[in-house]
Amino acid sequence: MDPALIGMIAAPLFSALLSLATKSRRSMERLQLGHAVVLWAAMAAVVAGVAAGDDVSFGSLLRADALSAFMDLMLAFVGGTALFYAVGYMGEKLSRGEVEFLRYRRFFVYFDLFLFAMVLAVNLDNIALMWIAIEGSTLSAALLINFERTKTALEAGWKYIILSFVGIALALFGTVLVYYASEHVLGVRMEALQWSALHRVASDLNPTALELAFIFIVIGYGTKAGIAPMHAWLPDAHAEAPTPISAVLSGLMLNLGLYAVLRLKTIVDPAVGSEFAGSIMVGLGLLSMTIAATFMLIQRDYKRFFAYSSIEHVGIVLVGFGVGGAAGVFGGLFHMINHALAKSTAFYAAGRVLLRYGHKNIEGVTGLLRQMPLVGGAMLLAALALAGMPPFGLFISEFLIAAGAYDARPWVAYLFLGLLAVAFAALVYQVFRMVLGEPKETGRPMTPGGGRLTAAALAAHLVAMGYIGMHMPGFLRALFIPMSHIFHAVAEIP
Amino acid sequence: MAIHPEIGSQLVNFCSALLLLTCFAIIAQRRLSACVDLFALQSVFLAVTAALVAFLTGAYHIYVAAALTVVIKVVVLPRILKAVIERLNVKRELELNINIPSSLLVCGALVILAFYITQPIISLGFLLTQDSLAIALAIVLIGFFTMIARKKAVTQVIGFLVIENGLFLGATAAAYGMPLIVELGVFFDVLVAGLIVGIYTHRLQDTFDSVDTTKLTALKE
Repeated sequence: MDPALIGMIAAPLFSALLSLATKSRRSMERLQLGHAVVLWAAMAAVVAGVAAGDDVSFGSLLRADALSAFMDLMLAFVGGTALFYAVGYMGEKLSRGEVEFLRYRRFFVYFDLFLFAMVLAVNLDNIALMWIAIEGSTLSAALLINFERTKTALEAGWKYIILSFVGIALALFGTVLVYYASEHVLGVRMEALQWSALHRVASDLNPTALELAFIFIVIGYGTKAGIAPMHAWLPDAHAEAPTPISAVLSGLMLNLGLYAVLRLKTIVDPAVGSEFAGSIMVGLGLLSMTIAATFMLIQRDYKRFFAYSSIEHVGIVLVGFGVGGAAGVFGGLFHMINHALAKSTAFYAAGRVLLRYGHKNIEGVTGLLRQMPLVGGAMLLAALALAGMPPFGLFISEFLIAAGAYDARPWVAYLFLGLLAVAFAALVYQVFRMVLGEPKETGRPMTPGGGRLTAAALAAHLVAMGYIGMHMPGFLRALFIPMSHIFHAVAEIP
Repeated sequence: MAIHPEIGSQLVNFCSALLLLTCFAIIAQRRLSACVDLFALQSVFLAVTAALVAFLTGAYHIYVAAALTVVIKVVVLPRILKAVIERLNVKRELELNINIPSSLLVCGALVILAFYITQPIISLGFLLTQDSLAIALAIVLIGFFTMIARKKAVTQVIGFLVIENGLFLGATAAAYGMPLIVELGVFFDVLVAGLIVGIYTHRLQDTFDSVDTTKLTALKE
């Protein structure tokens, strides 16, 4: 029984309920900022507990092992800064009269429920209950994506609903197939759905059933993770959603989809050998990278641009886990957390730009470094990180994945590096156009309050990115070693 | 009262086959309200199949799932959908992406595909519900196809609900039902999903004056 685990999961739920009762902007701001702090504190306790060597559990339903704790770290850190940012962003919209208070309140209710569903999903020790929580996050995201209620937001929301509902239904079929295979070993009871039990008996499960299950789950949760060719909803949803949500979709929800696929991979590998899942993941990863890199070059909308960049990074992570080995697995995990930090930084900056200029055209934005030095600087640093420049962690993870791929299949490494180069060129070309030069438009004046909260969120992310890029903190190292056991990759952590 | 296992298995297969048959009827039907009725009928067959499995195996928690199926999929969701159709004033699907005869042929092919895919693992299952897994996959695939072949938002929703029915049959067939807490969670999600889709179709109608999803074309490269 661990109170921190319950606290971390309950905090967003309570915050959603309390939000319903708030009557003023001030009380909502206090509530959400307090919520972020509670989330961080509880997450720190959970991560410390797991890093000390023991899984943290609550009954038989909730259990945080190293992989869950790693996801918690990402979800709570970025979720908390996103709350800070959202308070500033929505506050700006409220004081301009673009949203009325009731809708402002509803935004935070949905946002809290979205965070709740995601934090719950990664700590459930049960493949079917995890499905329910992930479906919950899909539903709350569907309400958030068309929050602006424009024609295009509605279109993006409908696309998201249709694609992700079908995806999640296929994932449920995959889940049923896993149960179908596991009940023969574990019996018809709850234990046959538990990740920990599945992990223990993985090598005795029927390989054909698991192969079929993996295909359904990769297509199903892959839709949520934005893996090509199931990515069609992603650029639209990221462009049309309110920007704090775009940041959370890219930084967290895509990783949640990946998490579900990876969990299943740890079960499938011992039963059918790592070649099967690995080849599928490498193939899909390279396809995602190809499609994303091409569209990044021709993009005119900066939110869509960053959305395509997310597809590219999901592809990189897939290649990492697909080639496997200590380098691939460590690279993939390290890439997930660094991408979550860098991409949400980019969206936080993009959201301020959108609030100021009121449009999303890359060509209409120039001279950000002069006009909005903090936002422009953050966007530039985030873009350099996303392009894989040192000293940021994405350099290390991409290097490791390329090295792992070279050992396993050299042609994968060549293609991988070629695609990285295209994406690098696109990032430098598109983002430099925006941050450098003379400002063309003055845009609308901004309130300082929202600016301070944004600055806090941006600074937290930049410090975290620089810190873990240059020096591996002890708690992260303590999580990576048990995680490499979960992924059956013998560890030599660099 | 004991029933010979062979007869029980035949009964379950018969009910599953009726579910599959209603899928074909939905594909062949242009009138939207009739599609909703057929979906309700399919859900009745689903509830009967589940109750039959519960009766034959003594896994009594499946009765709960069968009862929930009746409440949510036979009563509540069809009512919501009918209210949407009434308000939107769309009675028929006039243009289809794929015409009805070819749709039926494609669905026939999907059934064969489903049996082909599940062939290697079917022997794993319980004797009683062995063939239902293949039928469940066939229903999922046909639901999928309905969503692609039709243009109106309402029919796409029906396609999604047909997929859900297939999944439920799959869970009942493969494992004599998931544990109760899982079934409850899935039902809750389906209900909320139905409500959200209802809200969305209203907004589509208000904003675009139509629920024809082929009009959603502003967002592209």
